[in-house]
Amino acid sequence: MSWILLIPVLVFFALMNILPTIWMLGLSFYNYTLTSANGATFTGFSNYLDFVKNQQLSQSVSRTFVFLLIAIICQTFLGILIGVLFWKNDKMPGRRFALTLFFTPMVVTPIATALFWKLILDPTFGVMNYFLTSLGLSKIDFLTDSNLAFPTLIVVDTWMWTPFMALMTLAALGSVPKAELEAASVDKLPIHRQITTVIWPHAKFILMLGILLRSIDAFKTMDLTYIMTNGGPGDRTELIALSLYRFAFKSFKLGYASAVSVFLLFIAIALTAIYLHVLNARKKAEAQG
Amino acid sequence: MSTAAIMKPSRRKGPISFLTLLGWSTSILFFLPIAWIIGTALKPKTTVLDIPPKFFFIPTFQNLLDAVNFANTLSYFVHSAIYSFASVFLAIFVAFLASYSFSRFKPAGTDFIMFLLLSTRFVPAAAFVIPFFQLFNILQLKDSFLGLIIFYTMFSIPFSVWILKGFMDGVSTKFDETGMVYGASRAHIMFKVILPQVRAGLVAAFVFNIIFVWNEFLFNFQLGGLKTYGIPVGLFTSITKGGQVDWSFVASIGTLYVMPLALVIYFFQKYLLVGLTFGTVRGEV
Repeated sequence: MSWILLIPVLVFFALMNILPTIWMLGLSFYNYTLTSANGATFTGFSNYLDFVKNQQLSQSVSRTFVFLLIAIICQTFLGILIGVLFWKNDKMPGRRFALTLFFTPMVVTPIATALFWKLILDPTFGVMNYFLTSLGLSKIDFLTDSNLAFPTLIVVDTWMWTPFMALMTLAALGSVPKAELEAASVDKLPIHRQITTVIWPHAKFILMLGILLRSIDAFKTMDLTYIMTNGGPGDRTELIALSLYRFAFKSFKLGYASAVSVFLLFIAIALTAIYLHVLNARKKAEAQG
Repeated sequence: MSTAAIMKPSRRKGPISFLTLLGWSTSILFFLPIAWIIGTALKPKTTVLDIPPKFFFIPTFQNLLDAVNFANTLSYFVHSAIYSFASVFLAIFVAFLASYSFSRFKPAGTDFIMFLLLSTRFVPAAAFVIPFFQLFNILQLKDSFLGLIIFYTMFSIPFSVWILKGFMDGVSTKFDETGMVYGASRAHIMFKVILPQVRAGLVAAFVFNIIFVWNEFLFNFQLGGLKTYGIPVGLFTSITKGGQVDWSFVASIGTLYVMPLALVIYFFQKYLLVGLTFGTVRGEV
């Protein structure tokens, strides 16, 4: 009985995950370029070796990590501040409407986000540059300036995802038992002691899950950079997912791109394992009360 | 509204508190870029690129109407609706069966399968595009609703399984046992007894999978075609329409896209957390 109910899921899983994964693994051992007249030739691990040696690619991996680190630090910091603000403000008039406005950026598809910011940041008629010039500053071409494109990307990503970290903060604070909070305030515990002894032990799990989910998501960033900067200027905003896309669909090096995909697959599996580890730690802590 | 209602003392006491002001300012600040796009869509076309920008103007719905009437706009929305609703319905049905099995029978390997399912949602989309692209070519599923629906069903299954299993674990097995005692069939227990109790999970899974599929770009772009392109591809191509970028048009499409989404966030706010954590975290906001 238990397996009969699982058949549909397993069929979908085999067809739409295992098959493509095996395909990808196989392809990664071949030299296969769609545009070349030669068919696929088996080359063993050479795609992987090329990948390790490829400076451009290792640069975009490390650039992705820098992006992820800075963006997530900003989002977590702002998210906690704003989350606490709305937590303290649980009876604020029009709270649901205000939260709707605040949460909307994170459910907008990155394609739309990228278009919206392109219009706002446009060097000639964008409203941002209008403000800069009316403040007496000179115009800035945010998306094509080689020093500013990357920070601009981080700012836009922070705009998109700070609401998510605020949401996680709200959930984390909500997971602190009310009775313990009341007891702490009855005991007149100083605020920093309240945080370390009452709030943090409960709130840390959800907060960590939030940071992990953001890391996973930041690692996947592609649509945003694809439209907003297309990886440019030069390769200043080229993150790993975009590099991969380009190998596959601009230079048609399918074998090589598959090797990169396998690498990303392993990273995703490792991140999932860490994520579930934290999730289980939370369950255990809750079970112990 | 009657005068009595206006005269009634409002719930807040005294002037608006500083925290309220701060909360509202934060929300408005974050919404400003989207408000600017909506404003751009409502501006007369000739004034869109004016410097200094027009902050006050008489709104016109002409741009929105033009966008709706433009060649493919409606078809993008229709395509998105077809494949999102079909695949999410299918995914939730399949996930409901699986999560009942995981929750009640706990077959060997439950944790491992749940782990693998979640990990598929954590891989960058670009990594899977190549094998799917080739498989779809071989199976001749490119630019077909059948292909996209199969793909997006798998795309929606992991989250649906996680969320429904979470809700089902919260329903006591006493219900199943009582049903068994009275001689009810397994199907009856699943669909008539358990299903109504996990309704919140079904709603959350439905709403958020629709949003995820509705927003998905890369696979629709690579596996779809003119017959099946959805709204993100519509947004993507709006910027390349004609020679010069027609920002009124881009903003109008963007507005048509963003408004229903904002409404969904308003009405389903309590599901937002469980939705955006793929069913792994539940809690109050």
